Amino acid sequence: MGVNKQLKEENIYKPLPVSIVRNLPQIKDHRLFQLKIENGTTWETFSHQPGQFIEVSIFGKGEAPISISSPPTRLDTLEICVRKVGILTNALFELGKGSTFYIRGPYGRGFPIDILKGHKLLLVAGGLGLAPLRSLLLYALDKRGEFDDIILMYGTNNPDNVLFKYELLSFFDRKDIKYLYSVDKDEEGIWKQYVGVVTGLFDQTELSPDDTYAVMCGPPVMYRFVIQKLLSLGFAKDHIYVSLERMMKCGVGKCGHCAIGDKYCCTDGPVFSYPEIESIKEAI
Amino acid sequence: MKSIDKKDVIDMLKDWTNEYHVLCPNKKINDDCIFDGFEQDHFTLDYGKLSFCLKSAFFPQSEIIFEVEDNQYHEVISSEKTILFGIRACDMMGILQSSSFMSRDYGDVYYSAKDDATIKVVMACPGPQNETCFCTTTNSGPFAEKGFDLQFFDMGEEFLVEVGSKKGKELISGELFTDIDSGDAKGKIAAFKKKASEAIPKVDEIKSVMEMLKNGVVEDEEWEEFGQKCIACGGCAFVCPTCTCFNVYDLARDGSGMRVRGWDTCLYGGFTREASMHNPRPTQGSRLKRRYEHKLKDYNEQDLQGGLCTCVGCGRCSDVCPVDIGILNLVLAISRDYKSG
Repeated sequence: MGVNKQLKEENIYKPLPVSIVRNLPQIKDHRLFQLKIENGTTWETFSHQPGQFIEVSIFGKGEAPISISSPPTRLDTLEICVRKVGILTNALFELGKGSTFYIRGPYGRGFPIDILKGHKLLLVAGGLGLAPLRSLLLYALDKRGEFDDIILMYGTNNPDNVLFKYELLSFFDRKDIKYLYSVDKDEEGIWKQYVGVVTGLFDQTELSPDDTYAVMCGPPVMYRFVIQKLLSLGFAKDHIYVSLERMMKCGVGKCGHCAIGDKYCCTDGPVFSYPEIESIKEAI
Repeated sequence: MKSIDKKDVIDMLKDWTNEYHVLCPNKKINDDCIFDGFEQDHFTLDYGKLSFCLKSAFFPQSEIIFEVEDNQYHEVISSEKTILFGIRACDMMGILQSSSFMSRDYGDVYYSAKDDATIKVVMACPGPQNETCFCTTTNSGPFAEKGFDLQFFDMGEEFLVEVGSKKGKELISGELFTDIDSGDAKGKIAAFKKKASEAIPKVDEIKSVMEMLKNGVVEDEEWEEFGQKCIACGGCAFVCPTCTCFNVYDLARDGSGMRVRGWDTCLYGGFTREASMHNPRPTQGSRLKRRYEHKLKDYNEQDLQGGLCTCVGCGRCSDVCPVDIGILNLVLAISRDYKSG
């Protein structure tokens, strides 16, 4: 008898050590962390899909869900774009190049690549919502032949808060992606593109709803307006996908924090088709 | 079939303690019945409905999951060969549903290590244990249909013992148990079950409110009214056999310490609040709605182990709620408010 303390493999809660390769400031309070696995193995074995997330673990500060920003087509490092906003992310920002912390994952159901392939792709991002969408965007660009037109609509609140600025600027040189950028306000009058909310961008371009899939991620207020816009343009409900944010504490469908009606954001999502969540009031 | 004299039950438990940690009802201070380690002087068969369900045997109120030394995580999986003696049928259903939930998709090693090491002995109820019992409505009592290793039926001077597993059968191979005529015993058990089931009042409002929730007729205003009363103590969730939500937190000093998980509940405002302070369930009404829709609506397509829903009819939330919005008062109120409309 007596309490049996044992060590066991395959514990879903056991985190894996990673270290910071580069720590790239983006905008105020936002950084892109490039990570490598400590024990020398590659991200290939990690085998994540665009739209999935990890649990970042810093002992003493807890764990928090962070979406993966890099695509599985670029496996040198795993990239996460983080806003300094809570206890864990504040601690993460204290860590420099070469520092070690822990992660678990990859978790969740990402973007439905097999459904999206062969179709036109409309990505609608607001603010930090670009972080998870970027994994899909770069994936599609790396496998450009597998997708029809790619259109990116990205809105931020002002010109100072544009994430991945240089990457977005680099699209100016490409003919195979359409990009439309907006800022809510431009008090200094420096913004050369659209000023207004992101839905305003829909009036700037022609879309063909029949063969386009719309995928979005942004602040809570954005979803309802963008979905309304898409439906009014004639998008079928099952051509609309959303990536949702919740307090996904465990990441494996056990702790209950991220439940949305009968679904768990961490295992059934974070990417949902609109019909899956349409009737769940608390979803968006 | 076997039977055991009631007077021999203490010896049976003593025998079991040689090989197992035996948890059973003990009468303690204030005559409260607590389910904990067998103590001969305190053990009682007169325990009615225990104030707490038995989930803590698998899912402790708080539990160390990692010991951390210099930022290295060492997992701590505690389990012990245990017998739970005297489980009520509603709690057995709670264990079945929780085990199914904790092992779906990904297994939870902390839960399953304890679940696997535990022998479950059910004590069938001869009738309601207090005025809030409604297990016959939720298909979860007054006796267990499955999940148990042994099930005891109270026949006055003796217990008839139904075997549910090989492990259970081995437990009753000793001389304290008497072989009896199976046909005769089955008849007695059938009569016990019929009488017990008939003695427990049905709460038809449970089913009608489940239907209303499914059809989306209950408005948010109704929940907000309940929310006005709720003091967010979390009592209903902590006594609930199927509430298994948890939080994970670190107790740390200089990179060493422990990672702990502990009970949490959707009734707390911070449960869904994100780091940005955005809260998808911003009001107490929306949080109460979540808790009761979890029990009566959202999971009814999942593995219910034969139950009606994820409420097992134990009535404890009604027993403990200081402001009378346990499940019974709640379904009565909703059913009254929406009957005509």
